[in-house]
Amino acid sequence: MGSFLDYFLGGIANGAVIALMALALVLVWRSTRVVNFAQVGQAMFTSFIALTAVNITGSWLIGLIVGIIAGGILGFIVHVLVMRPVRRADASGAIIATFGVLIALQSLAAMIWTAEPRAYPTPIEYAGLTIFGRVVPLTGYDVFVFIVMIVLVLFLTILLTKTKLGLSMRASAFNPEVARLSGVRVSRMLAIGWIIAGMVGAVAGVLIAPISSLSPNTFDIFLVFAFTAAVIGGLDSLVGAVAFGIGTGLILSLVTGYSDASNAPIVALILLALNLWFKPDGAFSHHKARSV
Amino acid sequence: MVKYVLPLTHPLLHVVDVSVTLSGLKILDNVSIGIPEGAVTGLIGPNGAGKTTVFNVISGFVQADSGQVRFDGTRLKHIKTHHLTSMGISRTLQGVGLFPSLTALDNVLLGGSAQVKSGIVADSLAMPWTDVEQRRLRERAYAVMEEMSILDVADRFPSELPYPVQKRVAMARALVSDPKVLLLDEPAGGIGAGDMADLARIIKSWVPNRTVLLVEHHMELVMDVCDLIWVLDAGTVIASGSPEQVRTDPAVLAAYLGEEED
Repeated sequence: MGSFLDYFLGGIANGAVIALMALALVLVWRSTRVVNFAQVGQAMFTSFIALTAVNITGSWLIGLIVGIIAGGILGFIVHVLVMRPVRRADASGAIIATFGVLIALQSLAAMIWTAEPRAYPTPIEYAGLTIFGRVVPLTGYDVFVFIVMIVLVLFLTILLTKTKLGLSMRASAFNPEVARLSGVRVSRMLAIGWIIAGMVGAVAGVLIAPISSLSPNTFDIFLVFAFTAAVIGGLDSLVGAVAFGIGTGLILSLVTGYSDASNAPIVALILLALNLWFKPDGAFSHHKARSV
Repeated sequence: MVKYVLPLTHPLLHVVDVSVTLSGLKILDNVSIGIPEGAVTGLIGPNGAGKTTVFNVISGFVQADSGQVRFDGTRLKHIKTHHLTSMGISRTLQGVGLFPSLTALDNVLLGGSAQVKSGIVADSLAMPWTDVEQRRLRERAYAVMEEMSILDVADRFPSELPYPVQKRVAMARALVSDPKVLLLDEPAGGIGAGDMADLARIIKSWVPNRTVLLVEHHMELVMDVCDLIWVLDAGTVIASGSPEQVRTDPAVLAAYLGEEED
């Protein structure tokens, strides 16, 4: 039986990973107003590609870079082959299409790499840090994940709010007609949204894989957690996704610690239900993001 | 005021025999409208006459079944909406269509999207050449905001501004790309008499440097600013000419009063 502090520290690392996946969901939502349930599938698939690169080169960093590039390409492919054709359908059509992509990617991954779970290496030793002479359940790797997340959030925030590209992406998502009249190439902005989300998802995948192991289905549970965090955060807020990603990680860690790990998904769904009941626009949303 | 003799010899923007059917309804039936360069042309008609559809065809939102749009003598094929501002055509929408999460200045800057060539890589690395273009666009944005007397609200969000001021922001966004042709869809909608007089003055100040096509319900404004007026009813052109000619045209009066002609 650990202490509250132990569970708390363990939760931060989990939360950072959930936050990263939630960020990818938010990026797709912001640029295309679609909740991308295939995001974990894309992350899983690109993590396999990254793992292949690691096995060939022996370098974790090259694996990450290959994974990010593959994530961007896969995001673009999903956008062009699946999402663009269904864009004219209603919103539920697009969401169902993302489920289709998830299942297709999982099946394809099982065919290529088999369903057997694989270990993914870490760049830093995965062992508890010693703080005040005591080994805590926070590893150097967890700290690394946290730092990567912070850097990524800062980069994305600047990209989306301080650059012309970000301005165009936000405009395209909010009102494509006005954006087009303003000279914005809306279809390109949608594609860029999917590419960036695919890249962020790939980073999340490569960082999750050492913790969860890598198989076609091991990321599924992160979809539940990330979706919860993204929705509670308001779906269009990067800060909200991060705050509630970490929050969800903490709560789940406490639930796991004090009861049982199998309760975590249920608690996540209860959080989601409570949020939809009391504050459907999300805690960090500036404006009405969804009409229920 | 210049008198335009119809048919126009060299209209800058020319809608030729355009027909549009939407959901089985004939919205436009062989509509031809010429817009002379350097003048204010009005497009009026009762509700549902097809005025906004004409705008939608010109701006590429709606595909015409037949007919064509010619700009500066060239036929526009497969009009891509995002190319309009680079071609020198700018449009405002009914209402304001401002982005609520962007400041007035950012909303205006967005209108110059096609004027700044930058990409994802250059943008994320904040390359110096994007800075030069951005600065030029920013200066231009400040200039048009001054022209529209909204410089003092540059950093405010649309929700903090009264409706007539929001409309000015929307108009500044259309102006920032320095368009040759402005398509204004009900610019006077929802604004009061004082702002209307300002609007008339502003529109008149644009010609002859710019060409304006105006869809508007407020007849006083239309009669005041337009050099040439086209009247649509039920998807066909029923009259055209100077404000005086149109004002006294029996077909126009009948259309507006909802009466059948004898």
